[in-house]
Amino acid sequence: MAAGNPILQIDNITLAFGGVTALNGISFDVAEGEICAVIGPNGAGKSSMLNVISGVYVPQTGRVVFREQDCTRKRPRQIAQLGMARTFQNIALFQGMTVLENILTGRCMKIRSTWIEQGLNIGRARREEVENRRAVEEVIEFLHLQGIRKTPVGKLPYGLQKRVELARALVAEPIMLLQDEPMTGMNLEEKKDMSCFALEINREFGTTIVLIEHDMSVVMDISDHVVVLDYGAKIGDGTPDEIKNNRDVIDAYLGVTH
Amino acid sequence: MIYRETGTFITSYIEDRKLFPIPFDKWAMALFMLFMVFVIPFIASDYWLAAHLIPILAYGTAALGLNLLTGMTGQLSLGTAGFMCFGAFFTFNIMLRSPEWMNLPLALMLAGTVTGVIGIIFGLPSIRIKGFYLLVSTLAAQYFALWFFRSYPYFLNYATATVTLPDHHFDLFGIGETFDVDMASFEAKYLLSLGIVTALALFAKNLMRSATGRNFMAVRDMDIAASVIGIPVIRTKMLAFFVSCFYCGVGGALFCYAYLQVLGIRTFEMNRSFEILFMVIIGGLGSIAGSFYGTILVYEFPILFSWAGDYIFKGAFDTAVVDNVAKIMYGILIIALLIREPGGLAALWATAKQKLRTWPFPH
Amino acid sequence: MDFDWVFFIEIFVGGLMSGIMYSLVAIGFVLIYKSSGIFNFAQGTMLLFAALTFVKLTEGGVSFWVALPVSMGTMVVFGILVERFMMRPLANQSLLSLFMATVGLAILIEGFSQYMWDSAIHGLQLANFLDLALLDPVNMTIFVVDYVEWLDILISKFDIFATIVAGTMILILAVFFQKTRTGMSLRAVSDDHLAAMAVGIPLSRVWALVWAVTGIIALIAGLLWAERVSVSFTLVEAVLKALPVILIGGLTSIPGAIVGGLIIGVGEKMGEIYLGDLIGVQGIETWFSYFIALVFLLFRPSGLFGLKIIERV
Ligand SMILES: Nc1ncnc2c1ncn2[C@@H]1O[C@H](COP(=O)(O)OP(=O)(O)O)[C@@H](O)[C@H]1O
Ligand SMILES: [Mg+2]
Repeated sequence: MAAGNPILQIDNITLAFGGVTALNGISFDVAEGEICAVIGPNGAGKSSMLNVISGVYVPQTGRVVFREQDCTRKRPRQIAQLGMARTFQNIALFQGMTVLENILTGRCMKIRSTWIEQGLNIGRARREEVENRRAVEEVIEFLHLQGIRKTPVGKLPYGLQKRVELARALVAEPIMLLQDEPMTGMNLEEKKDMSCFALEINREFGTTIVLIEHDMSVVMDISDHVVVLDYGAKIGDGTPDEIKNNRDVIDAYLGVTH
Repeated sequence: MIYRETGTFITSYIEDRKLFPIPFDKWAMALFMLFMVFVIPFIASDYWLAAHLIPILAYGTAALGLNLLTGMTGQLSLGTAGFMCFGAFFTFNIMLRSPEWMNLPLALMLAGTVTGVIGIIFGLPSIRIKGFYLLVSTLAAQYFALWFFRSYPYFLNYATATVTLPDHHFDLFGIGETFDVDMASFEAKYLLSLGIVTALALFAKNLMRSATGRNFMAVRDMDIAASVIGIPVIRTKMLAFFVSCFYCGVGGALFCYAYLQVLGIRTFEMNRSFEILFMVIIGGLGSIAGSFYGTILVYEFPILFSWAGDYIFKGAFDTAVVDNVAKIMYGILIIALLIREPGGLAALWATAKQKLRTWPFPH
Repeated sequence: MDFDWVFFIEIFVGGLMSGIMYSLVAIGFVLIYKSSGIFNFAQGTMLLFAALTFVKLTEGGVSFWVALPVSMGTMVVFGILVERFMMRPLANQSLLSLFMATVGLAILIEGFSQYMWDSAIHGLQLANFLDLALLDPVNMTIFVVDYVEWLDILISKFDIFATIVAGTMILILAVFFQKTRTGMSLRAVSDDHLAAMAVGIPLSRVWALVWAVTGIIALIAGLLWAERVSVSFTLVEAVLKALPVILIGGLTSIPGAIVGGLIIGVGEKMGEIYLGDLIGVQGIETWFSYFIALVFLLFRPSGLFGLKIIERV
């Protein structure tokens, strides 16, 4: 997909936990409509990066600009309202709810009716419930989740849970989607499904995607842009081809010491 | 073609969201309600109304309130009786100090609302304080309520210990005088409680199957993920405190007005908070019907047990023994349920129904 | 207006002493929380159970020297039973479920101990006992004579004794955790259950041990508290008072429990006397400690010494 203007700008982000510097002066841009992969060894700070972008962590320095708005100090909910949705490395589904209910929570920002209308089950509240259900059904169909609507999410196998989580993010109709290791722990078949989904989401809805992934063949296949982190620093940023030939990246991955 | 398809979709979604998807359940419920409204008041003796049905309705309301907060939204509370206390005292004072046109249902709603606001105040710390740490706040509510009404006898109309609630508080729009019916009879009190409890339970049920209910559960299950999705976590918590305390307040008022007939502070000691917590755990955290199952079990067990003592063992048990055996039983039941079926009686009942549905050919 | 310093110090010292008593109860909570993440709501009824066992034994004519080890043994057996029949089957459940289970345990113990030993209010004149049993059997003056005077300040002798005992207990526990093998393995368990199991620390044995130790703490705390509030349900409520202590200290920290106890002990007394006067109402001590705790928690949501955790996702 053709890359447009930067929709997300990361500018000199530093984040530390006590003594551990998880991110050290990271800057990069994500262009509108692209699939950007963030790679790097374990503990490199990839998840921390996504957490900063989605407002879960507040960085010590630097700026995050999303759709021309400074999001650095915004609450996660405000950032979500700007059109950001995400999935988590360790599945963060609501364990006490069914698949359907979990995905419906993704529609929470579309709700206009008040709790009193909902409690009385009148007018707007009823209509919204049906509208949201229709949106959810579309996503369920798109991700092939039809058979398990009423299943409690805790009872599902890992791969399906990841897919439900993706559904919950998608149903919010995000402009940008962040995925933290969507394919880790999956078999080849499931990985192929997941990367197809990413591509389709990107092509059909024009959603910009930032994803963290370890499998280099998947990364090279689907991404337009790759950012490489190592020990909290950025060591590579470019097209997959550029990254393939980047000395620092090769060293980091092969563990060469200078 | 497309139009028709969407059409069928809409009906099927509505169908899917029905309160009673199985027709049999719907009819059973309708019959049950008809029975409760039109038959019970005529066949039940005053004893049955006053010592069984009315207290169960009053307790059930408070249990439902606690369940909305702890079971649905995951905010622990040990202040239930404190909130009931607020509700009961406010209702009394509204009735006492308002002009003629005030009536009990309206006063209950007003008192519930004020209690809800107090609930929000004591819930505010939940913005920063999580989990067990929040117990401090609800315990503060419990002890603050007791202290407050003890320190300001104005709210008890300067009575010592208790006031008897006057009969004229029960009159509705002068019906009692005009038609010469006793609005303070047990039948009337029962019907009033039943009406209010049914309305509140239905409201809760609707709330729980809509966006607000899902927000409650999302906050309970994982509040970080909830906020990332765009759920207003703080507003959701405050709403949970408001609704929960509204229910507890109304429950407390019913407890005094319909059940005890007197208002006093000692009704709402710490023990009551625990009693209601047991009801909720046993009935099933997060289940509306479960709140009532738990209430019935916890309320009726000591009565049944002492009845058994009287009739089978010829008065073998004194009240202390009954009390202690009941406590032992609740304790064992709670632990056993948590080990075997954390969903409580409600989940047991659901499983049983499922078995019944596939009977006699379970797959 | 002349500020009455002697009175002030008297209250302050009294507050400190009840603070240490709170700390002793709080340590019981912290032990179990640290080793299993459970907020043990049954701590209060464990106090009641232990104290009742002791009282009943002595009322039945058993001497102090027999009653004490027998009650201790009872609490150890109790700890093992709790581990076997509650902790182990519940091991994989959510913390909320585990908390609820301890609420169940609390009511179970309460019913049981009152069923076995009636629910009358028992006085426990531990002071008499101590004089009779160990120190001064002839004159009975060491504890029974109530106060010592020091710089014009009256301090209850029993309070001094209780403070010393509680302080010693706290010290012993601290040493136990820092220096002994068992204590260290306990800390390892609290840090990471899976890792502890991986290096071969038997979880269930550690848990049984923790519950047994907590039982013994409950016995000693129960006996000391009983002197003030008598042996009855009030003992359970007294323990609810210890709750703000643990929360101020942070659920995971023994020093926290101590500091928290002192803050609440002093704060409660000061609040009752000075703030109560100021706003002209009585009895605010019933809720004042919770408000102190709330104020602290608003600034430090996981307590003074609790681990500040940024949740990971
Ligand atoms: N909430 C947190 N508290 C403390 N340290 C953290 C937290 N989140 C991440 N870290 C630390 O930051 C570093 C980067 O972690 P992370 O972003 O999860 O790496 P990656 O996702 O690339 O594997 C690690 O050293 C990790 O221990
Ligand atoms: Mg990661």
